[in-house]
Amino acid sequence: MSSTFGGDETAPFFGFLGAAAALVFSCMGAAYGTAKSGVGVASMGVMRPELVMKSIVPVVMAGVLGIYGLIIAVIISTGINPKAKSYYLFDGYAHLSSGLACGLAGLSAGMAIGIVGDAGVRANAQQPKLFVGMILILIFAEALALYGLIVGIILSSRAGQSRAE
Amino acid sequence: MSGASTMMGVSSGSLVASSGADLTVYIFRRRNRHRHRRFSPGGIYITGSSLIGAAIKAPRITSKNLISVIFCEAVAIYGVIVAIILQTKLESVPTSQIYAPESLRAGYAIFASGIIVGFANLVCGLCVGIIGSSCALSDAQNSSLFVKILVIEIFGSALGLFGVIVGIIMSAQAAWPSKIA
Repeated sequence: MSSTFGGDETAPFFGFLGAAAALVFSCMGAAYGTAKSGVGVASMGVMRPELVMKSIVPVVMAGVLGIYGLIIAVIISTGINPKAKSYYLFDGYAHLSSGLACGLAGLSAGMAIGIVGDAGVRANAQQPKLFVGMILILIFAEALALYGLIVGIILSSRAGQSRAE
Repeated sequence: MSGASTMMGVSSGSLVASSGADLTVYIFRRRNRHRHRRFSPGGIYITGSSLIGAAIKAPRITSKNLISVIFCEAVAIYGVIVAIILQTKLESVPTSQIYAPESLRAGYAIFASGIIVGFANLVCGLCVGIIGSSCALSDAQNSSLFVKILVIEIFGSALGLFGVIVGIIMSAQAAWPSKIA
C-alpha cells in the first residue's frame, strides 16, 4: 500500500516527545518559580502590603519560562509534517534534543528564580536597598532559560537537513 | 502500537491532570522529629487545609478564598476537556495498516498531546495550590492582600493553559490513514 509519507516510521515518536519535553519541563520550572516566590510574597505582604506589587517581578519572570517552552513546542510540532517533507530519524532526534535542551534549562532556571525570588522579596521587605540586587540575580537566573531557548532553536533548525541516502 | 500509544495518551492526560488537583501522598521522615511534607501532589488539598486552618480565627476569608480552590479545579477540568477532544480523534485501524507510517504518527501525536496536557496541568495545579494556601494565610492577617496574591495565582494558572494550547495544536496532527479496502 503506497503512502505519501517519506522518512522513517518511528521518527515522529521522538519529535513529538521533544515537543512534550519542552513544554512539560519548562512548565515544571515555571510552576516551582511561581509557587516559591509567591509564598515569599504572601508572607512578606502581611507586614509590608505596599511592597507586594513591586515584588511580583520574580513571578513574572517565572511565567516567561513557560512561554519559552511554548515557543519551542509549537516550533517542533509544526515542523513534523511528513507529508510535506520527509521526516527521518535524524529529524526526530534533532527535535527531541531541542525540546530537552529548552525544557531542562527552563526547569533549572525556574528553580533558581523560585529560591532567589523567595529570599529576595523577604529580604527586600527589611532592607529596601536590596531590590536592585535581587533583580540582577533574577536576570542571571533567567538567562539560563534563554540559553536553553537559543540552543533549542538552533537544534530544531537542523531538523530539515537529513539526507535520504 | 499506535492504538496503545493513543490509549495511553488519553488516559494519562486526564489521570495526571486530575491528580494535580486531588490526590495526596504523605511521606514522613523518621530521623527528624518534625513531620515534613516531602511530596504531596494535590492543589486542592494544599489550599483547602490551609484555608480551613486559617478560617478558625478569621472566618471571613472562607468565601473569598474558595476562588483558589476553583482555580485548582479548573486544572482537572482542562484534563477532562482534552481527554474528550482526544477520544474523538481515536479511530479503529484495520490490521493491515497498524504499522503504516500514518497510523504510527497519529498515535504518537495523540500520546504526546496527552502527556503534555497531563503533566503541565499537574504542575500547574500544585503551583496554584501552594500559592492559594499562602493567599489564604495572608488574607487572614490583612484583607488588602487577597487581590494582590490573586494576581500571582493567575500567572500560575496560565501554565495549564499553555499545556492545553500545545496539546490541542498537536492533536490536530493526528491524521489516520484513510480507509482503503
